[in-house]
Parts: sequence; C-alpha cells; structure tokens
Amino acid sequence: MSQSVRYRPSFLAWLISLFSGVGGLIVKLMMLCILNGITGWAIIVLFTQERVIWALGTTAVLASIDFIYLVPNRFLPAKFILPGSVLLVAYLIVPIFFTINTAFQEYSTGHVLTKAEAIQTNLEQNAVQGDRYFRMAPARDSSGALVLVLVDDSTGDAFIGRRSGLEEIDPTTVEVDDFGDILPPTGYSALIGDEFFEIDAELAAFEVPLENGGVVRTEGLSGAYDSAPGFQFDPTSGALVASDTGVEYLDNGRGSFESADGEQLVVGWREYIGFDNFTAVITNPLVRQPFLRAFAWTIGFAGSTVLLSFAIGLFLAKVIDKQNLRGKKVYRSLLVIPYAIPGFLSLLVFKGLLNDDFGLINKLLPFDPPWLFDPWWARLSVIMVSVWLTTPYFLLVCMGALQSIPTELVEAARVDGAGRWQVFRKVTLPLLMVVVTPLLIASFAYNFNNFNNVYLLTGGGPTTEDQSVAGATDILISYTYKLAFESGKGQDYGLASAISIYIFFIVAAMSASGFLRSKALENMK
Amino acid sequence: MSDPTNRYNDHWWRHLVVWLAVCVAVLPPLYVVTAAFNADQTLSGSSLIPRALTLENFKGLFVQKEGGAEVFFVRWFRSSLIIAVLNAFFTVFIGALAAYAFSRFRFKGRRMGMLFLLLIQMFPGLLNLVAIYLIVLRTGEVVPALGLNKLTALLVVYLSGAMSVNLWLMKGFFDSIPAELDESARVDGATPAQIFWGVILPLAVPVLSVVGMFAFVGTLNEFITASVLLETVDNFTLPLGLQAYVGTSYEENWGSFAAGVLIAQIPAIIGFVFVQKYIISGLTQGSVKG
Repeated sequence: MSQSVRYRPSFLAWLISLFSGVGGLIVKLMMLCILNGITGWAIIVLFTQERVIWALGTTAVLASIDFIYLVPNRFLPAKFILPGSVLLVAYLIVPIFFTINTAFQEYSTGHVLTKAEAIQTNLEQNAVQGDRYFRMAPARDSSGALVLVLVDDSTGDAFIGRRSGLEEIDPTTVEVDDFGDILPPTGYSALIGDEFFEIDAELAAFEVPLENGGVVRTEGLSGAYDSAPGFQFDPTSGALVASDTGVEYLDNGRGSFESADGEQLVVGWREYIGFDNFTAVITNPLVRQPFLRAFAWTIGFAGSTVLLSFAIGLFLAKVIDKQNLRGKKVYRSLLVIPYAIPGFLSLLVFKGLLNDDFGLINKLLPFDPPWLFDPWWARLSVIMVSVWLTTPYFLLVCMGALQSIPTELVEAARVDGAGRWQVFRKVTLPLLMVVVTPLLIASFAYNFNNFNNVYLLTGGGPTTEDQSVAGATDILISYTYKLAFESGKGQDYGLASAISIYIFFIVAAMSASGFLRSKALENMK
Repeated sequence: MSDPTNRYNDHWWRHLVVWLAVCVAVLPPLYVVTAAFNADQTLSGSSLIPRALTLENFKGLFVQKEGGAEVFFVRWFRSSLIIAVLNAFFTVFIGALAAYAFSRFRFKGRRMGMLFLLLIQMFPGLLNLVAIYLIVLRTGEVVPALGLNKLTALLVVYLSGAMSVNLWLMKGFFDSIPAELDESARVDGATPAQIFWGVILPLAVPVLSVVGMFAFVGTLNEFITASVLLETVDNFTLPLGLQAYVGTSYEENWGSFAAGVLIAQIPAIIGFVFVQKYIISGLTQGSVKG
C-alpha cells in the first residue's frame, strides 16, 4: 500500500467518525446484548440436551467476554483482538486440531460410531426373529401409561408388557372374545376409537425387553412377536459371539469386530490407529498409486500454469512496455478482462466451450479433440484454462516491475555494446526476478490447492484405468475432497485428514521460502 | 528514436502480437454475451454471431417456464450478494480492530501473536472442511441458525479468517499513520476507542476499501466451502446454483446460463472498477488471485 497518507475528508470517513463517541458506545452495548441473548439461549439448550460440560464452558467464555468489555480502561488490546480471535479459534484453530486428531483414527464409512454404540448397533441390527407369536392389545394401566396385554399364541400364557420388562399374569384374567380380540384384565383400560390413531407411532416403536437380551415388538394393532439377538456380547473377552454358529468376533484393534478367519462385521467404530493413515500412502498400493499420481499431476499442473502464465505475461508486458506505443492503456484494459471476471464463471463457460460435440472450440477447429473425456486432453484443457485465467495477473505484475527498473541501467548496458537480448538476459530479467520470485512461489502455492480450476472444469475426471477415487486431473486437494465428501466407495475422513496434513507441510514449506524472500518480517517493529 | 508520425509502422509487430493476445483474452467473454442474446438457446445452436436476437434467455432466469423446473436464480443472486456484503463489512471491521491493537498497543505476546497469525494463514482453509462440516453440524443442534444449510453459518465460517488474512496489510497501513495524531487526540482526552473511530479509521479508508472489496469479490467467487455447508438448491449461492444449473444439462440450458453469467458478473465488475487504482500496488504486496 502507498506509504504516504493523503487525507481527503470523504463521506465515508465522516460517517465512520460518528462512531467515536456515544454512538459507538450504544452500538457496542447493543452488540453485547445480542451476543448475550443468543449465547444465553444456546446455554439453556445445551443444558436441556444434558451437555453440561459444553454448557459450563460456553458460560465461562461468555462471562469472560462480558467482563473484558464491561470493565473500562483495562484489557485494551483484548477488547480489540477478541472478536477476530473468537471466530479464529472456533472455525480455524479447533478444526486444525480436529483434523490432526482425525488423521490418527480409523474414521470412515462403517467406522463413525463409538465402540459402545457399535456394539449396540450390531446387537440390534442382527436380531433374528424368535419363535413366539403373541396376540396383543394395547391398554393403559392405572397411571395412564401405555402397556401391552399379550397372550402367547401357542401356549396361552398371558403377560403384561411394559417398557421395563415382561410380567406374567394369570391367563384366566384375560378374556379373548369371539373375534380373537383380547380384553384387558381388571385394573387396565382398553383403548377405544380415536385413541388407536393417536398412539400409532408410539405403538410401532414400543419394545418390551426380554431377559435373554431380545425384545418383543408389536406388529400391527393386534399382534406381537419376539426377536432374539443374533449376537451375545461377552463382557469378559469383549467379543461378540454369534448366537447360531458360536463364532467369536474379537476387537481387531482397528475399529472392527473380526472373527478368527478374518471376517469383519459391517458396523465398526472410530479407533486410534497411530500413523497407519500416513503410512498407507506408502504401504497400501490402493492408496499409494492414486496419491502419487495426484501428487505428480499437482506439481505438473501448478508448475506449468505458473511458468507459462509468467512467460506469456512477461512477453506481453515487454511487447506493450514501449514508450509512446499507441493504445497502450486500451490494450492493458482489454488484456486484463479475464482477471476481472469471477473465476468460477469463466471456468463454467470454458466447460461449455470445450464440449466435445457442441462446443465453440471444436466448431472452429478442423478436428475434434476429446477435450474433457481423454485423460491427456483433459490435463491440457485444465492447464490452458488456468493459464488463460492467470496470465493477466502476471502481465500486471510484470508491467509494474518493468517500470520500476531504472532506465539508467539499461542505457548503460546499451552504451557498453550489449544487444537487446543480452540486456534482457543480463540486466532486466535478474532485476525483475528479485521482485517477482516471491510472487511466483505464492502463485505456485495458490495453484497447488486450486480446487476450482480443476473441479469446476473436469470434476477431477475422467476416471483412470484403475477406477480409483482420484481421476486423471485430480490434484491433491480435490482428491482429498472426494475422499471425504463424495466418494462412491465410502468416505474416509481419516485418510483425507492425513493427506491434508501432508499438503499443509508442502504448502508451508513453499510459503516459508517465499516469505523469507519477501522480507515481510522486516515490517515487524 | 522513432518519428511520432511514423510510430504505428515502426511497431506494427507489437500491435499484431497484442491483437492476437486480445483476441484470446476477449473471445470467450464476448461469446458469452452473444450466447445470452442468441435466439437459439442450445449449446449446439450457439455461434459467435447469432442469427436472431432475443431477451428470452434473461426472462428464463426470472420466470418459471410452463412445465419447467422451478427457477431459483434471484434467490441465488440475493444470497450471494447478502453474504458478500456482510462478509466484506465484518472482515474490514474485525481486521481493523485487530490491526489497530497490533499497531498501537504494546502488550505481552504481541510479536508471537503476529507470527502465529501469519502461520495460521498458511494452513489452507480447504483442508479443514471435514472438521468445519462436523462442527457446523453439531452447532446446528444447539443454535439452528449456525447449522448446516444456513447462510449465517457460511458467513461465520468465512469470517474465521478475517483477522489473520489482512492483518499484516492493514497493520502496515496503520503504522504509516503518524502517531502524533493519536497523541494530540489523547491530550484532548480521547479514549482509545474514540481514537480508533475518530482518527485512525477515517484516515484508513483506502486500505479499508481494498480489503473490503477483495473480501467482497472473493466471497462471490467462493465455491468449495459453500458446497459443503449448503445442501438444498434454494439456499445455494450463485457459483453453486449456476454449477448445478448447467451441471446436468449443459446442452439445453446454455442460453439461460450465459444470461446468468452476464448478470452474475455485474457485482464483481463494479467492485473491480472501484478498487482498480489500488490493485496494482496491492498485487505486488503479495495478495494473490489466479
């Protein structure tokens, strides 16, 4: 930014200065009120959901915020830094820790529950229908709670089924009428008419637990059957034992129950697995191959985009950068147009232009390359479009940088007898590179994660021969995105997080080198 | 030195090269303009020079065709504009608050804080998406407005970087505002808050507008976070909506899509014109697009 400040009192400046007194104080208090209202509500909801720790934590944070803002003339820096910090911590720093934590876990489709939930789900999901069938009548007991009056169809034994369990009663107290309908015993009142419709959903979800771990479930409005669990949980060995075959499924340490011959139950849980997600990139060929291909293509894509854009931008800048060239300003404005259009729009437009059958480009060309359907043509398309988008940036940068090179140096070289090319190679380019190198590195780092340019144009496709998640034009970041959010083969948050962390180290290394060159640290007084 | 009357002849090759480049740069956008007014609405029927002109394509964005799918263009456009304006405003506000503290106060952890914010900035936000998705999912169970498929949630996630991204740029500018101005205000009895609002911010309008405009245009362009957090088509922002619009049926919706692209560009171009004079110096300071 320009270092000298030219002060021109504008409407905006006048408007802002209005906040420097009572007005600002009122706004501040209003914002605090809104914050307290919303957060207070959230705390109440947290308490009702019995997330006590979260509720207390939120209360503590809210209290300290209020304290900092309401005590005058103290914690001044905190007053100014707090709004940004709260958002930064909640949606940037916490997610970073979360990502690191996830990277060390087996956390994928089939491994999203906790272990206790996974055991419960396995017991419930694999229930097998038992051999008992009951005639059933819903009724209300003296306290008004819903119960089931049950008569075993084969033995004639009668029961009262409650949510707490099954209670046997004298079968003679229960009458069965001519239609086979049950009349409840004394002390219980039968449901009549409309009441049946009201309890419909409640009845369907009604379960009477049995002592063997099974349950009695209702079927329709007048029947019930028992179901036995397909597995028994053995608390001593921590294994699930199949009720019919007796096969033991043991915790395999990787978030699944596994039998001795290697069969795994579908429902597993999240489990810490150390560095396995990180090493899978090297050891597991199913992961290694797409990862390495995406990695190589990421570097190829980012490298060629930056170098080509820079080369073309510099060339055009040199061509235009000629004193008294007519129409210089118009040319510059026209050439910068791709930069002024939102990138996503250009990308979607190019997707249409490169359409195989109907696209404009194939109409103009004498032959029809399969731009987006062949792996190599698709890669070429992505690079071409990215260069189209990026070149104006380097054109602007180079025009600025060329103007900043002192003309005396160039003239001195010319006087010494250097040719045009020599002057460019030995004087202009080295001086230019001093300014431009950090920007080249920054642009490379940016394109390294340029999700839009790949995803909006080709969607990462076309798919490659090995049919993996990573398509031919998938760069690491879009590969990660697909792993986590849209893989048809199930989602794998753990692996996606591990790859995210690899990407971070790569980008951080690049940024660091660019940063050290740009000397931004010198600004830190 | 060339004779001024003769300079066009002298530089003919320069003009030729530049005109070629201009063609490459301008043809795709120009083609969108013609496609938007082309009476033949399909991709296959489109051409550089339309045979007949029409406004039907624009109408198709706002009015539902008989028997056609429901049209959400106005909603997408409104969502994008609202979220971009709010994000620009709060980004400037939060960033300016922090920059003022780091520029004018001396406190424990100031140096570390600045370095930390610089490092945080290098962590690509995209990598956090899984975690952000899950956090937003959980938050939504407590505060529905901050849950999935809510624009407010998207705004809050965008704002998480407001402090770190522009801190160095804004602090640099604030540093260049003479401390004597603060000093004299303080002698007159102004509080730090009054100095911030009354002295520093009015003087910092140039940097505030640049930061605001970059945030504005950046938000209009943002695709991936929105695609993770927003779920139903009526809540989409423009990039998501237009992508969904042509994603399935490029062929038949081409004319309306081109018309939509034309309208969608308007806010960004207004923004671009507004900050054009600051952009070149801003570019060499290291903010990157493309």
